[in-house]
Amino acid sequence: MQPGHFPANILFILIFVAANGFFVFTAYKLYRILRLGKPEDRFDRRSERLKSVVTFVLGQRRVIREPAGWGHFFIFWGFVIISIGSLETFGVGIYHGFAYWKFLGKGLTSLLYLLQDLFCAAVVVALCVALYRRFVVKPERLRYEDQKAVNQDACIIIGLILLLIVLLFGARAAEYLLAQGEAGRYFPRLAFVSVAFSSLFTGLTKEGLQAWYSFCWWGHTVVILGFLIYIPFSKHLHLLGAIPNVFFRRLSSVGELSKMDLEDETAETYGVSRIEEFSWKQLLDLYACTECGRCSDNCPATLTGKPLSPKLTIHHLKEHLQAKGKMVLAQQGAEEAATANPEGELARALIGDICQHDELWSCTTCGNCIENCPVFIEHIDKYVDMRRYLVLMESNFSPEVQNVMRNWETNSNPWGLGFATRGDWAKGLPVKTLAEDSQVEYLYYVGCAGSFDERAKKISSALVTLLNEAGVSFGILGAEEKCCGETARRLGNEYLFQSMATELVEIINSYGVKKIITACPHGYNCLKNEYPQFGANWEVYHHSEFLATLLKGGQLQPQQGMDKNLVFHDSCYLGRYNDLYEEPRTVLNSILGLKFSEMDRSRNKAFCCGAGGGRMWMEETLGDQKINDARTGQALQLEPDIIGVSCPFCTTMFEDGLKTFDMDEKVKVYDIAEILAQAVTSAKE
Amino acid sequence: MAQGVCVITEFREGKFRRVSFEIASEGRKLADALGEPLLAVALGEGVEAVASDLGGYGVEKVIVVDDALLKDYRAETYVPVVAEILQNLSPKVILTAASVDGKDLSARLAARLGAGLATDCTELQIEGGGLKAKRPMYAGKAFAWCEWSDGAWPQVASCRPNVMDCLAPDTSKKAEVEKVEVALPAGNLTQVVSIEKDAGGKLDLTEAEVIVSGGRGMKGPENFAMLEELAGILGGTVGASRSAVDSGWRPHADQVGQTGKVVTPNLYVACGISGAIQHLAGMSSSKYIVAVNKDPEAPIFSKADYGIVGDLFEFLPAFIEEVKTLKSTC
Amino acid sequence: MNIVVLVKQVPDTETKIKIGADGKSIDTSEVKWIINPYDEYAVEAALRLQDSVGASVTILSMGPERTVESIRTALAMGADTGVLVDDQATEGSDALGKAKVLAAALKSLEFDLVFCGHRAVDDDENQVGIMVAELAGIPHLGLAISVEVADGKVTIQRPIEGAKVTMEATLPALVTFGGAHAVWNPRYASLPGIMKAKKKPLETKMLADLGLSAADVGNEAVKVSVTSMELPSERQAGRVLEGDTAEKARELTRLLREEAKVI
Repeated sequence: MQPGHFPANILFILIFVAANGFFVFTAYKLYRILRLGKPEDRFDRRSERLKSVVTFVLGQRRVIREPAGWGHFFIFWGFVIISIGSLETFGVGIYHGFAYWKFLGKGLTSLLYLLQDLFCAAVVVALCVALYRRFVVKPERLRYEDQKAVNQDACIIIGLILLLIVLLFGARAAEYLLAQGEAGRYFPRLAFVSVAFSSLFTGLTKEGLQAWYSFCWWGHTVVILGFLIYIPFSKHLHLLGAIPNVFFRRLSSVGELSKMDLEDETAETYGVSRIEEFSWKQLLDLYACTECGRCSDNCPATLTGKPLSPKLTIHHLKEHLQAKGKMVLAQQGAEEAATANPEGELARALIGDICQHDELWSCTTCGNCIENCPVFIEHIDKYVDMRRYLVLMESNFSPEVQNVMRNWETNSNPWGLGFATRGDWAKGLPVKTLAEDSQVEYLYYVGCAGSFDERAKKISSALVTLLNEAGVSFGILGAEEKCCGETARRLGNEYLFQSMATELVEIINSYGVKKIITACPHGYNCLKNEYPQFGANWEVYHHSEFLATLLKGGQLQPQQGMDKNLVFHDSCYLGRYNDLYEEPRTVLNSILGLKFSEMDRSRNKAFCCGAGGGRMWMEETLGDQKINDARTGQALQLEPDIIGVSCPFCTTMFEDGLKTFDMDEKVKVYDIAEILAQAVTSAKE
Repeated sequence: MAQGVCVITEFREGKFRRVSFEIASEGRKLADALGEPLLAVALGEGVEAVASDLGGYGVEKVIVVDDALLKDYRAETYVPVVAEILQNLSPKVILTAASVDGKDLSARLAARLGAGLATDCTELQIEGGGLKAKRPMYAGKAFAWCEWSDGAWPQVASCRPNVMDCLAPDTSKKAEVEKVEVALPAGNLTQVVSIEKDAGGKLDLTEAEVIVSGGRGMKGPENFAMLEELAGILGGTVGASRSAVDSGWRPHADQVGQTGKVVTPNLYVACGISGAIQHLAGMSSSKYIVAVNKDPEAPIFSKADYGIVGDLFEFLPAFIEEVKTLKSTC
Repeated sequence: MNIVVLVKQVPDTETKIKIGADGKSIDTSEVKWIINPYDEYAVEAALRLQDSVGASVTILSMGPERTVESIRTALAMGADTGVLVDDQATEGSDALGKAKVLAAALKSLEFDLVFCGHRAVDDDENQVGIMVAELAGIPHLGLAISVEVADGKVTIQRPIEGAKVTMEATLPALVTFGGAHAVWNPRYASLPGIMKAKKKPLETKMLADLGLSAADVGNEAVKVSVTSMELPSERQAGRVLEGDTAEKARELTRLLREEAKVI
């Protein structure tokens, strides 16, 4: 059965068409399952999207952030190069005389062959490393509860790739030898690996070589087509999912949750309680998952033993989607099917069976999962969507969450303190309300902590001092200020959030405010990234960026040095959510003598303080350690005098953490504004 | 024409409740101001034997109904009887205790007699020939002075227990006792099914009038014994801050604060609690707050009515002794 | 089984109390209105019976138009219908006047049980509910922290010092509720609940509809009224006692006894 000769070419064409047909069939089924999802517009800004594909698919930018990612880099590019070779192989299958060099010329073909050889060799090395990692190193992140199946899948994939490469080299080696003595045939010597392989065949007759060539060619071809068929059933589904997922990735801020349509009178349910209620993009996320586990490797909940692991969430959702999706497509009347077979996939509840309540409520929305995902899976939105269902449809949440929601409703702050006292913190301070003087450039939006919490009030007054010192024209809303509702939204109470947001937008706009400063990263993210959904059109600055600008412009000049060791903690909502890593550091660097050190998990890998996503208002009873204790422990390893923060929530969490370690008298927690205010004003005294 | 002041006593398990003496003493004051007699109504099982003792508090005459059916307060037996007596007596002012039973009785009497009622009064005076009553509103955040419309007799007021002065009884004086025989309605619309002592005897935080709470400043679980003792003497219960609970010193059920219980006792004693906002959110509506802490900068002091800066291990034993002394003398 | 829950709209408990211009009521310009918390426990108790024995729950309230919001809140929690008596002539009513209005409104409703809070947290009067029971001629069980209904009887538990008393009453009966938020954990309205509440029947009635005239209630019928209000002497938060340990202990005991009157 010499490839490309009759009737082998007919056989090949049949196999090729069948395999591709099967592949297209399964892929189409996957596509139809995807279409079960709700609509979502991800077709805007296409050039930007294409650029993403170049950077993150071709460039593998996020993949190679970690050393293990280089293995993937070579496998990926090896695969691309091999695929180019495969086209030639398939051409030969149809007509034996097909060859690239006839079109491309010998020079270019030599180069191509060399590249193929190099990448194939690199792939072999990378696969060996991958096997070593999976079976010898066994990193935590590759752990799944169905480990055997997962490992088996990995072995099949790795085995198939190894096999197809070995067979490819075999075919090429034989081809090289065959080409030696035959006119009209050409094989570039530059492909030195293939050439080296040919030593295996030395001494064989032409017929023998031909037989080996046919065997390897067929073997290689069948393995490739088999691989094609296997892809949609394995974790290599990501070959199909990842590229579109990168293309359709969220281009807006990570910190912007979707706005629910609560006006829709026809809506029967809110939030997500069935997998098909996710948007198609959320479902595409599931196809895209490579099961690399980087999300869980950086998840503060996972790392402190909470019943939440983003990689498992995605894994479970993917399995559920595929099993349920097929059944939904196959039969009408899914509801009856569920009743008929209470054990079946259709009867499994998304919340309760596939995802657990504690899993959803354990998320701090810190964004580490999203930041570390090489293929831009959006985990947090899924947790929030399911929380939305529990809150809006079932009022199913812990009593302390109910308490905080009622407090927002009646007094627009999480503690339920009288709303009329919101502006009291500023009594006696040199700051006016907009009601007293609205002719100011900036609104200082103080937020709940800065208004009510004794500790955070000190941050507010430090910031007032700095703004006055720099001659900034600003005012506050005082008792008129309302909570921004950020946490209510993350807890899933979109209804409450929308009413709060609408109200606050109206108040702020009534003063014609254009620019806002705030010291709370949560309020900052919400006002900046989410309030435009409610008609806000403001420039919003976090105090870290604002103070950094004032320092650069010379409006603030810290005089007083500080001979202390400081470790800085990045707030999730500043860093990962809004890319403000340098600004708080600029503020700290302006202070003479302050020595500051970085934790291992800092900047975009910063570990959460534990307060985000509404966790601030919930008891943390699960897991083996509190998240704030874990983070405080990381900070204490650097033996600081001061833990520097830029968020009132972080302040609370670290101060509590220090108490756990009995270090609250030795180590102090300060906001960057407090540190700067001291450096600016104490020199004057 | 309405005349005199009449107090409705509470008699349980063979004796008058202390609040009955308080309202009798208060009634005496009002009767004197009006220049009119002080009468009393006493219902109960075996009340006849001691009814004349009310004279020691200034009561001139007691109308007594003594019947086994009157052992416990039940509206269907008490209300018609008392209402009838009062209609016959036609007093200007009627005083009752603002106890659980007294509240029920006074409201029903007022409705039945078509009278105006001021509940839970803390101060009473006679002005312009009628009653003027001071009573707390808005959980004590304001006080109202109530007055009755012209000719709106009788004027009914219930008095908060333990607030009004109780005269030292003049045991030489006895009140005239008039026993009334009435046909008691054999109503059984309501009844007590059982009384169950609380397991462990620990009063729930949300029900406690006095809470003694400890935080990390307590240094260890063993030191909460001090707080238990203080709470015991004050008739209260023990709470804890989140850090004390986190440290495993107290169960989560004891936690006061944002994520624990929100409490509003009359007295909250915070020992070794710095007063982070999550704690303040759970207890700042307490009527009176005492803080004991060694750090004068602790935010709890900004909320405390009475602050003690110092070592709680020195202060608490001394304070416990003082309270014990006080309790033994009254 | 029909349950009518009497609901009063009151200022939020965190409201800063300021005395109004008339000197005898509070300034309501900065007030956030809520359902009286004890009434909310009553609503929750009724809804639990709705769940367990299939009771139908009606919310009855009186007050100005803003009261509708509180009734809708209760409907969103799950109550079935609402009735509001909104008549200018009821203004200035004392407790007895209010009780008369509510009792008259009850007459037009079918009920086996009437629930309400043992007091409203604004006037702290402890009397309207009981007066309604008296006017309606039904038994009253007070300060309930649990409630059950079976065999034509309602059974409640009431806490007393160190114990719980179980009491029962024959239906129809009125139960007033005590306890605390942590005891009842009133349900949080779901979004569909809020949507549905907008379409649930809510009837507004005038005095005439109840067979009452202005002379029966309101200012004309008032027996007792507030003639002036005062605020407690401004307490000096942050007051720190001086002296040695023994002196501080003695002084604190004295203050708690004589000034605060809490021990």
